[in-house]
Amino acid sequence: MKTLLETIDLRKTYKVGKVDVQALRGVSLRVREGELTAIMGPSGCGKSSLMHILGAMTKPTAGKVFIEGSDIADMNDSDLTRIRREKVGFVFQKFNLLPTLTARANIDVARHIRGLKTDHDAHLAEILQLLMIEDKMGRKPAELSGGEQQRVALARALASKPSILLADEPTGSLDTKNSEIVLNMFRELNRKLKQTIILVTHNPELVTYTDRLIEMRDGLVVSDNDPIPPDADSELAQPARSV
Amino acid sequence: MKKQMIISGLRARPVRTTVTILAVALEVVLILVIIGLTTGMTQETARRTAGVGAELMVQPPGADVLLATSENSMPLSLGDKLREIPGVKAVAPVMLKMNIKGGIEILYGIDSHFTEVSGGFHWLEGGPSKSSNEIIVDDLWAKDHSAKPGDKIKLLNTELTISGIVDHGQGSRVFMSMEDLSTALGQPARAGVFYVKVKDPEQVQGVKGEIEQVVTDYTVRDMKTLTSLYTSSNIPGLDYFINAVVAIALIIGILVIFLSMYTTITERTREIGILRAMGASKGFIVGLIFQETTVVCILGVIFGTGASFFIQRTLAAAFPTLMIEITRDWIARAAVFAILSGVIGSFYPSLKAASQDPVEALAYE
Repeated sequence: MKTLLETIDLRKTYKVGKVDVQALRGVSLRVREGELTAIMGPSGCGKSSLMHILGAMTKPTAGKVFIEGSDIADMNDSDLTRIRREKVGFVFQKFNLLPTLTARANIDVARHIRGLKTDHDAHLAEILQLLMIEDKMGRKPAELSGGEQQRVALARALASKPSILLADEPTGSLDTKNSEIVLNMFRELNRKLKQTIILVTHNPELVTYTDRLIEMRDGLVVSDNDPIPPDADSELAQPARSV
Repeated sequence: MKKQMIISGLRARPVRTTVTILAVALEVVLILVIIGLTTGMTQETARRTAGVGAELMVQPPGADVLLATSENSMPLSLGDKLREIPGVKAVAPVMLKMNIKGGIEILYGIDSHFTEVSGGFHWLEGGPSKSSNEIIVDDLWAKDHSAKPGDKIKLLNTELTISGIVDHGQGSRVFMSMEDLSTALGQPARAGVFYVKVKDPEQVQGVKGEIEQVVTDYTVRDMKTLTSLYTSSNIPGLDYFINAVVAIALIIGILVIFLSMYTTITERTREIGILRAMGASKGFIVGLIFQETTVVCILGVIFGTGASFFIQRTLAAAFPTLMIEITRDWIARAAVFAILSGVIGSFYPSLKAASQDPVEALAYE
């Protein structure tokens, strides 16, 4: 499979008061197209920082990040926004649906921002069917259960046809039953739509649903059960294409 | 889609939305009613002055277009001089006195020549003064003061009896004999203005020229142009007053919109973070805030315009002599000012919203 995403010696340092906190201390990894990957580690290991960088929401302090061959590490705000709009779908722990809009409108907003027609097409119909939320579209977030809200958030993230779906602790706000439902749906989406998914979690049970497990500790990758050899796909390691 | 987001955003915060709309409406009302009042009063005064029936009026040297500021400095003998000018049919001297008790009015002190120029009053009740200390009032003044013929009123420290009520629109709302006014003021009878009726209305300009040659220093005005002369730029201080009203209204609008949108942005930090995380550009966020502000301003303009007309009618019913003229021109200007205040007021909040870091905004509780 083709490499979709690659990070090279990724570093992120935050300034907390006068102290520099190193969230990432040189993370290098590659993710294949169509892969369902879990990044696991304890709180504070840097997985959320990694997720925010991969999601083009923040810039690394040093290192490279390639998404489909484009290095996003040195992009300006406008280009990063374009990457978020065109390449990345994000699912959050707290769902982050727009509270004043219905489920359908939440999905339509994402499609509108992406520049897609808000008329529901076959792709979206398939997603809604897979997520079993077709009958929830007229409801507002407050009228949905946590599991339903997360499925709407998932549909919203996928509606704009992203290259990669990033999920930051997607079951963190759900009970066991709903967690299981949502995780099964991630797997279904990965299998049926060939959607590349990276899940971040500190929950060891989640990894049984994924193809690959990358473990992090203290801002570093400490294990990877299915790494891509450095010379397997050299094309993406070169920052040639611009977005 | 944006439309749906804007409407749902406004509906989700009904109190804030209502207060902001009311504030914009207040801005519009402030402009339309106060400007309408100044315009209405001056234009109505102009129409009444023109309604005397004269084609020309002669005022003291350097006199302002506003009769209220004219001094009674012209000798009555000047009227005889004017009557000798070829083409002049009648000349009516009027002694003027501004009365600010119970409203602003210019009292007309008239003599028998006034009828020659005006063609006489249209009597609604009562009749002409038959003895001293009697006054004639117009129907709007009578309605405003709930007065009828025979009623006694006190003006210029003199007790006066209403002899008759006439139709409005012929110069003043209150008329008395020049002799009575002269006595009440303790001044000799002199004219503040001479109304001149010409024999041939086609020859007004010719007669005006003749008059200007005879009474060289005096101000001679053509009544046809009088209404156009009653503009803010010709009335001392009115331009400043209008500008001040507009500026205050604009500042109110800007501050309210700023406060409202700033509060909204703070409240919706997380929502903005969600939009930014989904790839919404800064332009999208700024556009969203501006469009939401514009909707609020448009609703405020509609509500404010409606409220202004309501106030106009209510005041007209309660105070018949109070004229508020709400023109299309000023409605358009008020709308522009309201939207301008919205744009200025939401400028900083929208930039603040657009520049929010998505990660920080999403972490906002």
